Order: sequence, then C-alpha cells, then structure tokens
Amino acid sequence: MTRADYIVVIFALIMLPYLYMTYWQHSAQGETVQILAGTDKKIEIPLNADQHLTIEGPLGSSIIEIHAGKARFVESPCRGKQCIHSGWLQHTGDFAACLPNHISVAVLGNNSLYDAINF
Amino acid sequence: MNISGCRLRNAFLYICIVFFISACSSDESSLHRARLVTLGTLVDISTWGVDHDTAEQAITDVESVLNDIHHTWHAWQPSMLSQINKHLAAGQPAKVAPDNMKLIRQASHLAAASDQLFNPAIGNLIGLWGFHHDDRPQGPPPEPSAINSLLADAPSMNDLIISGTSLKSTNPAVQLDFGGFAKGYAVDKAITLLHSRGITNAIVNAGGDLRAIGTHGDRPWRIGIRHPRESGIIASVETAGDESVFTSGNYERFFDYQDIRYHHIIDPRTGYPAKDTLSVTVIHGDAATADAAATALFVAGPKLWPEIAAQMGITQVMLIDDKLTVYMTPAMVKRVHFEIDPQPTVVISNPS
Repeated sequence: MTRADYIVVIFALIMLPYLYMTYWQHSAQGETVQILAGTDKKIEIPLNADQHLTIEGPLGSSIIEIHAGKARFVESPCRGKQCIHSGWLQHTGDFAACLPNHISVAVLGNNSLYDAINF
Repeated sequence: MNISGCRLRNAFLYICIVFFISACSSDESSLHRARLVTLGTLVDISTWGVDHDTAEQAITDVESVLNDIHHTWHAWQPSMLSQINKHLAAGQPAKVAPDNMKLIRQASHLAAASDQLFNPAIGNLIGLWGFHHDDRPQGPPPEPSAINSLLADAPSMNDLIISGTSLKSTNPAVQLDFGGFAKGYAVDKAITLLHSRGITNAIVNAGGDLRAIGTHGDRPWRIGIRHPRESGIIASVETAGDESVFTSGNYERFFDYQDIRYHHIIDPRTGYPAKDTLSVTVIHGDAATADAAATALFVAGPKLWPEIAAQMGITQVMLIDDKLTVYMTPAMVKRVHFEIDPQPTVVISNPS
C-alpha cells in the first residue's frame, strides 16, 4: 500500500464511529433540554448541566430536574401528575408536558431521527 | 504528477467530499419550528424552506384558528357545542353556522361509514367515565346500571336532523363530543391556512396526530410511531406528498383503579373501554377522516377492522393488539419500517 492508501484507510476508520453515531444509532442521545413556559418563555440548557429548575406557570411552580444527561418533572401543581409519571427524558424527541400549568420539557439534539412523533 | 501524488490528491478529494456531504445533510437553517399550547394539548408546527417572518406570521394565524376551534367545539366547558347540546337535550332546534354545520355533516357521514363505531353522539357516556375533565379521572368506574341506562337510549348521529342552519335531534340522549374528530378537523384547517400562505413543506402535529405536506428539503418527513406499551418508537414511516398520520392508543388518557386500567376510547356498543387493542395507526389524505377512522378501527378491534376500514375508504392501517401482534393492510406494509428488534409478528389483511 502507498502512503495515500494508508491515509484513506486511517481516515475511514476514524470516520466509522462518527458515521454510525450520526446515521444509524436509533436512540440518539439528546444534547439539550428545552423548557417552554406558556408561549413566550423558552429556556435551553445542556443536558450535562445537573440542576433543579423551578418554573412558574399559571397554577404555580413546576420543578424540573436535570441529572446525568436526563431530565424529568419532579414536582408540579397539576392534579393528574401525568408530567411526573412520564419519568426521565433522555433521547432526542422525548418530551413531557404539564398542560394545566402550560410547561413542557423536550429533549433536543443535532441528529434527530424523526421530524415528528406520532402517538 | 506521479502516481503517488495522484493518489494523495484523490485521498484529499475523498475527504473533502465526505465532509461536504456531511455538512449538507446537517443543514437545518431552512427549518422553522414552533410549539403552541392549544386544542387542550401541545401543537408542534415545522416548516421548511420559508423565511422566518413568513413562517412566524403563518404560525401566529394558525394558533388563532386552532384556539377558535378549541373554544367552539369544547365538550365540557362553555362553548358553541355546549349550547348545541343544551338544545338537543331539551328537544329544541339549535342554530348552527354553515361552516360549523359542515363539521357535523362530515362527522355524521364518517359515523355512518363506521357502522357508528365512531360515534360522536355518546358525550354523556364519555362524561360518565370521567373524561370530561382536564385532569386524569381518579375512578372508580361508573356503576353498570348507569352505563346500561345510557346505552338503552342508543344515541347516534342518525338521530340528528339537519335542515339548513337548523340542527335538532329525535333522541334527547344525543350529546355531541367531537373528541375523536375535532383535532383532525383542526389540523386540516391549519394545513389549509399554511397552503394559503405559500407554505408547501410543513408538519402540523397536534398532540401526536399530524398531517405533513411536502418534504424536509431533499428528503421526506420522517415520522416515528410510539410503541404502545414501552417508551420509544416501534416503527417509522416517511410521508409522501400530503398525508395524515393518526394514532389512537389506550395509553393516551386513562385511569387505573384497583389494578385495572380504564382508557378513554369507549365502545358505543358496550359502554366500556374498547378491548383487545393497544393502538391503531391510520395514514390517509385528510386528517379529519384519519382521526375518525383511528377511533373507529380501535373500537372495531382485531377481528372487525378490515370490514370497517373498507367501508370508510381507509387503505393504510396498522393495528396492534394486546398480545403485541401487528395487523396491517398490504398498503401499510410497504410504508412501515419497524424500529424494534426482534420484529413483531405481523398479520396482513386486505380491507374487505
């Protein structure tokens, strides 16, 4: 093999994990969490920044935990608590919402596999 | 230039091409996304290939249209629909604007095509089960005697008499609830508005039910279909042209009481939540029909769905039963790509 062949082979080996992660991995790990309160307040935070956030809505305070690359509702003033039952969100496209309190949490990533989720 | 030099140049070109393709594929600058709180759910709107101001203005106008539909057709808060229901219960004619009467006519037509398995006249039954609240019901389920009493009245869309702008019912038990239809109707209205603004590439996703037009740049829109029993995606489809993808699932609204789950899709024949099915996904042109069909086929269940699908003119159906067996039409088989391993057992049936 010539020097050029070695360069191509080494480059291909380097690119292989990147291409796999980008195009074939089914559960793309999210990178940021987007929190919407009402229609005008939007917060975006990296998923690797562990913290508890208190977000005010029309019913009161919702508390959202970000920990170890995941996010979840831990407290909300709604009656049904469906937002809390949604559990941890970590993959691109995962989301949960407290509709009565007008607060939603969505995980965003650069490599979303789907443009929309049907359910 | 010698051979080694040529190869070096070729290697450099190859690397450049790979990076160029990668850069092109990740270009999201033409994508505009917005999330609205309306219709009692979250509505996500994505547009592709239009400038920011055009997209923002159109989305603002869509929000206004959806809010109007929400307030007009709300089944348990004061609304035009609640006024209609008061008149119907009193045996009096209600005056309905022509545009609103269109929705009632369309729903009546779809109810008839579904053998009344899609039955928007059972509002009293839905309310009896506790699903006329914003929050999840706590249970217990209704008494059998109360359910049987409402079933005995047999309310259906066939009881309605439409004459111009006048609507009345021959059965005072008819209480309209367009929960299995108004979302599709609203999505259709939203897409019509986007079209009128020259937006030809978009998705309107109302709480998981959507209509997609055009493409995402040089590729189709990709839709993930939620697994009915686990977190994550069970299958995906790529939309073609102008299509609605609607799913009815037993996981959307429900309550658990004494270890039994009661979901919100009530079988008008029994008065209880429909059995045997976890979810039904329908792909169809217009969203209103897809919405009604997803509900009707869920109620129809694994045995009856091909017959009802044929009657409603639905050719692309995926039904998942409580054993996770997947039933599909041949046309749906060509569209669905399963995202789980191992692949599920699939039964293929023609609408018949």
